[in-house]
Amino acid sequence: MSRQDKIALALRDALPIVLAYFPLSITFGVLAAASGMPWNMSIFSSIWIYSGGAQFMVISMLETATAPATIVVTILLVNMRHVLYGATMGPHLAHWREPLKWLAALGLTDESFVVTSNRAAAGERLTPSYYLTFALAAYGSWIAGTIVGAGIGGIVTSETASVLSFALPALFLALLFGGERSFPHLLSACTGAALATLAGLMHLGGVGLIIGGLAGATVGQMLGRRSKRIRG
Amino acid sequence: MIILLIGAGTYLLRAGSLVLGSRIKWSHQSKEWLSYVSPAVLGALLGPLLLLNEGQWVPMKDNMILVAAIPTIAVAWLTRRLLLTVLAGILFFALANYFM
Repeated sequence: MSRQDKIALALRDALPIVLAYFPLSITFGVLAAASGMPWNMSIFSSIWIYSGGAQFMVISMLETATAPATIVVTILLVNMRHVLYGATMGPHLAHWREPLKWLAALGLTDESFVVTSNRAAAGERLTPSYYLTFALAAYGSWIAGTIVGAGIGGIVTSETASVLSFALPALFLALLFGGERSFPHLLSACTGAALATLAGLMHLGGVGLIIGGLAGATVGQMLGRRSKRIRG
Repeated sequence: MIILLIGAGTYLLRAGSLVLGSRIKWSHQSKEWLSYVSPAVLGALLGPLLLLNEGQWVPMKDNMILVAAIPTIAVAWLTRRLLLTVLAGILFFALANYFM
């Protein structure tokens, strides 16, 4: 495949993500403005963090005046999932030059991981021109949407903003129930939900998320092993 | 400041694991555990979001977020499409707000 073909393929693969990111990041910009975040900060967070879930969580946690350390720890724990993505994608980029790998890491989001890892699993050799075109298209869409959202944020009523705030739980639900959903995966989600809710009732703040995440993952793994043994 | 730290941390998680992952082979067990981190954390995020309001249990019949979440789950389950699910979710939540 020529370089042109690679770039065309990358743009075709990126299209659904570009289409999804644009309104989602507009929503982010609007909600950020409604919660009182200055417009330049919300655009900066899209450029610098570039992780939808994390950015939405920052807004909601700043609104409830969570301690800064808790915010950072909680969100980095949530973003631990990127370690899995990196570990999975890494072997496919083994033939790349070192600086390009560091560049590629910028664009490693939930959605682009799903698409590019499927490409790689189908036996496609991931080239820098394919991967970086793909990542850049998604990144550009995310930033452009944030700018639009931050721009119109001031004129959106608080009622509309509160309806739009359901975008965050909906995004989490979409990632959870649109992803891997074997019984062990769902049980680890339920364990996490139960422990975090319990911690919330006891006013333990962000700790519940950490405990829920670690315990949920362990329960899922244990059950996954057992069910494999029974089947195996 | 918070944004700076989160951005730097997230990038390091992504870059570190990608660069390391391109060199070493991860043990099967650690990969397996990592694959359960996402659903566990998503569950832990969703639980309080759907059931609590400022640390208080929300009674089922007044819980518009939970009511809107159920059809949203159905859309996610059936379509596996991110944007469609989010848009449908917002619509369900708007309807719940309107009728309840």
